[in-house]
Amino acid sequence: MSDGDSGNGRQPGDADERPRVAFFDFTGCEGDQLQVLNLEDRLLDLVEVVEIVSFREAMTEHSEDYEIAFIEGGVATAHDERRLTRIRTHADTVIALGSCASFAGINALRNDQDFERVKERVYGEDAHRISSYPVARPIDDVIDVDYEIPGCPIDREEFVQAVTALVNGAEPTIPNYPVCLQCKFEENLCAFERGETCLGPITRGGCGATCVSEGTHCWGCRGMVEDPNEDAYTAVLEAHGLTTEEILDEYQLYWGFEREQRAVADGGES
Amino acid sequence: MKIIDRSDFTALISELIAEDPREVVGVQADGDGYVFDSLESASDLAFEYDLTRLSPKKYVMPQRETLLTYRRDAGAADYEMRAEADPTGRIIVGVHPYDLAAIRQLDKIFIDTLHDEPYRRKRENSVLIGLTMQDVADTCFAASMDTASIESGYDLMVTELDDEFAVDIGTFEGDQLLESVPTRNATSEEIDRVETIETDLEAEFERGLDFPPAELPSLLEASYDDMDFWEAYAEQCLSCGTCNVVCPTCFCFSVDMVRELDGDSGRQERRWDGCLLEDFATVAQGENFREEVAQRHRHRFMRKGWYIYERYGDIACVGCGRCTAHCVAGVADPCEVYNELREAQHA
Amino acid sequence: MRSHADPQFARGEREYQPVEGQIVWVETYTDDDKLFVIDLPDGIDLDHEPGQFVQLFVPGVGEAPFSIASSPTKDGPFELCIRAVGNVTNAIHDLESGDTVGIRGPYGTGFDVDALAGEDLLFVAGGIGLAPLRSIINYALDRPGEFGELTTLYGCTEPAEQLFPDELAAWADSPIMDYHETVDGVPAGQEWDGNTGVITSLIPPLDFDPATTVALVCGPPVMYRFVIKSLRENGLPDERIYLSLERNMHCGRGLCGHCQLNELYVCLDGPVFNYTTVRDKEEAEV
Repeated sequence: MSDGDSGNGRQPGDADERPRVAFFDFTGCEGDQLQVLNLEDRLLDLVEVVEIVSFREAMTEHSEDYEIAFIEGGVATAHDERRLTRIRTHADTVIALGSCASFAGINALRNDQDFERVKERVYGEDAHRISSYPVARPIDDVIDVDYEIPGCPIDREEFVQAVTALVNGAEPTIPNYPVCLQCKFEENLCAFERGETCLGPITRGGCGATCVSEGTHCWGCRGMVEDPNEDAYTAVLEAHGLTTEEILDEYQLYWGFEREQRAVADGGES
Repeated sequence: MKIIDRSDFTALISELIAEDPREVVGVQADGDGYVFDSLESASDLAFEYDLTRLSPKKYVMPQRETLLTYRRDAGAADYEMRAEADPTGRIIVGVHPYDLAAIRQLDKIFIDTLHDEPYRRKRENSVLIGLTMQDVADTCFAASMDTASIESGYDLMVTELDDEFAVDIGTFEGDQLLESVPTRNATSEEIDRVETIETDLEAEFERGLDFPPAELPSLLEASYDDMDFWEAYAEQCLSCGTCNVVCPTCFCFSVDMVRELDGDSGRQERRWDGCLLEDFATVAQGENFREEVAQRHRHRFMRKGWYIYERYGDIACVGCGRCTAHCVAGVADPCEVYNELREAQHA
Repeated sequence: MRSHADPQFARGEREYQPVEGQIVWVETYTDDDKLFVIDLPDGIDLDHEPGQFVQLFVPGVGEAPFSIASSPTKDGPFELCIRAVGNVTNAIHDLESGDTVGIRGPYGTGFDVDALAGEDLLFVAGGIGLAPLRSIINYALDRPGEFGELTTLYGCTEPAEQLFPDELAAWADSPIMDYHETVDGVPAGQEWDGNTGVITSLIPPLDFDPATTVALVCGPPVMYRFVIKSLRENGLPDERIYLSLERNMHCGRGLCGHCQLNELYVCLDGPVFNYTTVRDKEEAEV
């Protein structure tokens, strides 16, 4: 990699060569951006390889001159849609940061509930002031998204790998193996053996099975693997005594939007 | 065969923990099960365990390990690339015969045949202290796979006899280990007793292959095209790869790029992978040579009972029962699958 | 590439150690295909058989296997023809002359040129499948008299997919090799005055002698399935057909398992196989 003009030969020390990066937040808890701030010491390394031009949680400056946009949160309003479209025209690369941006995540919990009641429950007397779409959507429902970093919150190391991939001229990748695999690496006692249920067998891995390692179970926050055998998994849950309604509850916490899309793609079966 | 007092054996392990530069690991209780883990005290050793969650394979072929590092100085043009082979050996205490059989198979592949340096260095720096089984997991069928006892593949093989241990010395290094503690030669009665323990153990197994494992290759070859059979199993399979990664003889891996945040350095890491996972046999242009779950499911059973035999002469299922114990869908059991195939063939 | 004077190589201890290669030339053939000419440090010769592959490592990006596209009869740098179809290959396409890469290998079983001596060779390539075959086509052209009659058939989906255009022109004029090409179709805006139709349409007119001909086939599964069928229909015995298969090797050394084809390891037993070895293997997709 001798010459600086080669795609792979970017000189990270050279300020002119650093890709310009912006962070944006939409409907979500901003926990994914917090994960970026939680890089702490490594943040200094991060700004050596990228120039951060916009990051509301960390700085007051803002610029519209950026190449890579990290977008946290889902789409809830017409304003969100307009703003996303504008970001897409500025950015060469758009990356969904976290589960709400990637597949609507926990926001989609409300999608199959009565919208007026949802508003009332959350905002009480101020419910009438809320002008939101009745359905929560991920950002790729509005604009083209190049890459996703799922998770609730995101895995910091996965974020670092995505940034360094782009800096090196490679593409960010996420695993298509389930949480179960990494859970076995960790030698955890299976949540099922503890008498709990767990979405690990069909949830996308890459988190290091953190939740099971910490003594709880997988909630499915990274979305489903690409081709989950949902029927077989439903049978497993039934065998562990869950009712159809309880199984749906498990699936809907993070996967509401994803499962609806999958059902449409499968020709309307659900 | 030597006999060593319980107190002397405990003293030996304590001495190794205190004096040997290598980490001493052994079987310990962990919640509702057992694991191989670092030993802080000889008293933590579990002698009457049934099955550990992972096999000691993890010490010679870890879940993740670095194969290559690369770096360049900031602003420099060329990278320095260096193959790495972590040489860390360990003293591994309490290995059951089926797990010793598995490591013996891996030695043949990784050391004798294909010269894998990261494996070889860890393996050759390690000591294996085997332990005769005293308890049998519900899912285990090692006796029928001829791996419930073993004649080689260990440095020392220990059998618990009341307040003493019978110790069979397998290697020079094992012999050296015993030098610091008092031992005496076993009497012929004691040798007989060890044999009786091994023989009696066979009756403890509630399940087993209904036929000699040597017949597996031809049975599997004949069953390859029985897609109805494989599909019926695959219908319930979650394709999660658990059966692969808990197996003591599975050795497939992926190589992943892990970059440091400085952008100028990083490593190539190998990580356990599994042929049940959807993308395992996919090539860059998107073609997947085992696209269906049934094909992947079948591949695993073929590999265990036939393919590895073709290449290395070993049946790659040692009957430990881990895949059966860990599969939440209940479709990973080689004993059940092989017996069903055999029954169908003779029906 | 192994220097046997180096005891660590001889003991196989440095099998994951790449040699530093330098890209000395990049040729763009199509939107997706480029040729990379790679030079190894002084004193290190790749020393490959036609049909073997290397693992190419790009720091910060990753590693992937590629069949060697140049003949061992060619001195100096070796060549890889790489199609940008995924993460690693897309990033490789950004590399330029002067960049360094890591090279491991050569690995695998290539074409057995000794066993092929004296035979008439019929090369049948589909699309990017020409790259692995080019190593033995050029080997045969460089060693006149070692083989019998030489014939190459090359099929692409469209004219713009063709690789090595200068060489194709030279082959068409070659007095020692018969060369035929075809495209499946000609999209608007592309020029073509040659054959159109699938590659199998080139086989019956050849009138080759099945007793003295050996076919060497490389391309995607959908192509080689039909090519093999046609060759057999035209009387070529199974044992006179060789094919080079593509799989996703991670280690290149018979361990990682990704390239396994039934009980075979493509990285050790292949990538070049006699058809009789794989004809009954479901996963060969023949």
